[in-house]
Amino acid sequence: MRSRAALISAAVLGVLAAGFVFVLSTAEPATTRKADSPLLGKLAPPLVGADYDILDSAGQWVLVNFFATWCTPCIAEHDDLVAFSNAHALAGDAQVVSVVFSDDPDNVLAFFAENGGDWPIVLDGDGRIATDWGVARVPESYLVAPNGEVRAKIIGGIEVGKLEQLLAEAKATS
Amino acid sequence: MRRWAPWLALTVVVAVALVIGTTDRDEPTEAERVQAIARTVACPACDGQSVASSDAPAAANLRADIERRVAAGQGAEEIRAAYAARFGDHILLNPPRTGAAGLVWVIPVAAVVAAGAALAVAFRRWRREW
Amino acid sequence: MRAALGTAGVTLGLAGAVLGLLTIAAGLARNRLDLQRRGVASVWVVLAGAVVAAVAMEWALLSHDFSLQYVAQNHSLATPFVYTVASLWAALEGSIILWCLVLAGYAAAVVHRFRHQRDDRLVAWAVLALLAVCVFFFALMLGPANPFRTISPVPADGPGPNPLLQNHPLMAIHPPFLYLGYVGFTVPFAFAVAALVTGRLDEGWLSVTRRWTVIAWGCLTVGILLGAWWSYEVLGWGGFWAWDPVENASLLPWLTGTAYIHSVMVQERRGMLRVWNLSLLLATFSLTILGTFLTRSGVLDSVHSFTESPIGPWLLAFFGAVVATCLGLIGWRGDLLRAPGRIDSPLSREGAFLANNVLFAAFAFVVLLGTVFPLLIEAVNDDRISVGEPYFNRMVTPVALALLFLMAVAPALPWRKASTELLRTRLQWPAWGGAAALVVAVLVGARGLSPLLAFALGGFAGVAALRQLGLAARAARRAGRSPLRAITGRTNGGMVVHLGVVIVAVAFAAASSYSTSVKLRLEEGETRSVSGHEVTYLGVEQYRVGDRRVVKARVQVDGGRIYEPALTQFPNATQTIGTPSVAWGFREDVYLTLAASPEREGGPAIIGVIIEPLVSWLWIGGGIMAAGTALSVVPGAPRRRATDPAPAGDDLVAAGR
Repeated sequence: MRSRAALISAAVLGVLAAGFVFVLSTAEPATTRKADSPLLGKLAPPLVGADYDILDSAGQWVLVNFFATWCTPCIAEHDDLVAFSNAHALAGDAQVVSVVFSDDPDNVLAFFAENGGDWPIVLDGDGRIATDWGVARVPESYLVAPNGEVRAKIIGGIEVGKLEQLLAEAKATS
Repeated sequence: MRRWAPWLALTVVVAVALVIGTTDRDEPTEAERVQAIARTVACPACDGQSVASSDAPAAANLRADIERRVAAGQGAEEIRAAYAARFGDHILLNPPRTGAAGLVWVIPVAAVVAAGAALAVAFRRWRREW
Repeated sequence: MRAALGTAGVTLGLAGAVLGLLTIAAGLARNRLDLQRRGVASVWVVLAGAVVAAVAMEWALLSHDFSLQYVAQNHSLATPFVYTVASLWAALEGSIILWCLVLAGYAAAVVHRFRHQRDDRLVAWAVLALLAVCVFFFALMLGPANPFRTISPVPADGPGPNPLLQNHPLMAIHPPFLYLGYVGFTVPFAFAVAALVTGRLDEGWLSVTRRWTVIAWGCLTVGILLGAWWSYEVLGWGGFWAWDPVENASLLPWLTGTAYIHSVMVQERRGMLRVWNLSLLLATFSLTILGTFLTRSGVLDSVHSFTESPIGPWLLAFFGAVVATCLGLIGWRGDLLRAPGRIDSPLSREGAFLANNVLFAAFAFVVLLGTVFPLLIEAVNDDRISVGEPYFNRMVTPVALALLFLMAVAPALPWRKASTELLRTRLQWPAWGGAAALVVAVLVGARGLSPLLAFALGGFAGVAALRQLGLAARAARRAGRSPLRAITGRTNGGMVVHLGVVIVAVAFAAASSYSTSVKLRLEEGETRSVSGHEVTYLGVEQYRVGDRRVVKARVQVDGGRIYEPALTQFPNATQTIGTPSVAWGFREDVYLTLAASPEREGGPAIIGVIIEPLVSWLWIGGGIMAAGTALSVVPGAPRRRATDPAPAGDDLVAAGR
């Protein structure tokens, strides 16, 4: 009687432990779990700068890029952003907007003067925009559809090839 | 009865001290309210630290935002809900109390109650066996 | 050359462990004592292999041998000597070497200690279990976590260890203690397995492993507290414990180990709780493996997981195998574990130990559940949630307070059954101690239910422990023994540990409930007052150390010493790393950080100031816990044999009343 009690509890615990190990073995690494955002499929939060308002970009795809000049991957992705912006400048179907994250405006102007890029820059002195968009760390970018809906979030540096693919997929499903 | 007099005195002392210690306190200042909320919001750029304890830029932004919202009269729950809608539920260090996630609050309490009950039953059985 | 030497060491260790394991198994199967002896002796080969591997790695680090990938990634020419030596455990592969070294050391110590019982089948089985664990960890070094991988071309210099790991000397001693604790639990685990396999579940092996468990527990305690101290001194937010997964992983085996150290006394005295005690030992070891998996596989976020690595699946598989083995053994031997005896009254020493175990188990369960719950919930319905500090604080506080209460009451309880009369007299002074602590706390302005209860129960438990020590001192004097005997031995050493725990608990409650944190924008020469402390900003110094840029602020506290919180910009790091500076005091610490350096020369800087009460008592309490642990393994006064009938109030301490 007693021995069966030990056997049964061991078996029950064994089943629980097996389930636990199974869950752990299928868990993704923490770093890859972060790419979703509650904003996806919703209207983009306000994004208004001195001479820019995302509402005026209706009819265009907008890549909202949060960045800072102190961040190494942001510097690395800049050429890709320039390439993307140039590729779509003529067609006028997509546009880049950069939002400055925790950085000095002078540094940003100098950075753009040196590295090119002639798209709108929005200063975010008090970090409100970044908080509204749910930005954790830069670089982080959001792809916003012509109807103002957030369609994708990209964490880390942009690669122009992957971005074009993402845009094409987003266009195909809208 | 006389033997219990010191214990009675002790109970009175403890009760008075506890009442004073839990009721006679200042209303929390705005800064303290901000701090209290910041402790329950995860720093989005860090691993498991709260906004209150991180110096990452995103945490600084959020702290400033909590200050603005508290100054504007928003309550703690309102502020937390706003962040959950922008960053996702995982921005809240306190897991939700409803749905499957609420189990994290229920299971330990149920386990302790069950263990206590099992002990009580064991003691009763031991008493009866002898 | 060093790589070859290291690989040779690892291979030697693995070969020794595998051959030893097989030889012991063959010896046990065929009842061949010669094989059994030879297998047990192979532990020395394993130890030699581990020593060779560790020496090879240290040699490579000290001689800047960047042809080793590990050295190239974790060392630089500019790394100071202490951190170079400590780089052995600065990253995963090296820390596995340390793990193997400690494990082989423990295994060899077991073989040495039991050299006269080496023909005992139980000892042979225990060594076999130890060798099996050795096989796994040495295999890790030949497989996924090879520390002696070479690279080419050989770089001229490396980046050095993670910046956070090379700015405080505590990093040199915290991991070794943690490993001594973590790995030390392998020994009682091995004996528990051996007892189950051989079916010799009488009390003999218990007294054998108790001291090993206590030593491992003491090292783990020190390791955890040193880790908290390191966080406090380095991370720059004034905290020392954040319920981070890595911290929880170290706390889990500590909790089950603590539960075991208490409940084993019930088994010694009354022969009860055998299944439970075995399960606690098996669980403690399993939790060390699970903790290592959680912190090394990258499935959980943590401020302390400095590496992500491919060893996750290996550790998980090993954890599964260990748990399966443990449960299988318990299920198989369940019949033998039926314990005779009963507990007469909940109001007795054994009743208190039972309550203690329920609370420690609940504590461990909450910590484990909270740590892995985000993973479970994500697997169930894809929700992503966090379980953070506020959750743990709320769930753990009642358990911790109840434990403090038990700590106060239990030492006064006799075995078997207590009368209220007895408790009334024995608990009177401790209870007044608690009331006094409460009144003092309220008078100095402490408010809030949980911290006040912590102080009151802390005073209660503290005076209870002092009372026990006082009684022991009186007993020693009457018996004409040295007064030192009053603090040695398990019972008295345990009370010293209790005192340390009380101090840590009170300091923890005070520091986490009553800290004040402000950020001040200060011009040069400006003074501001924060909670009664004058903070004066005197200016900054900028300089370069090797490839780092350092900005150091000079801040005077209370017109006295000048402290220098700093910001360091490491190459290849996007953010600056802050180095706080702490003006410590017995009453409170003034914790200074440089939150932002001046934007222009001579401009204002932002200085973070945190006033935290009683923090230094965390480290003092930790020291007392360590001292108490050491005292408790020193043989104390002779004890009555466990099988003797035990009258109420019989223990040595009570005898002095």
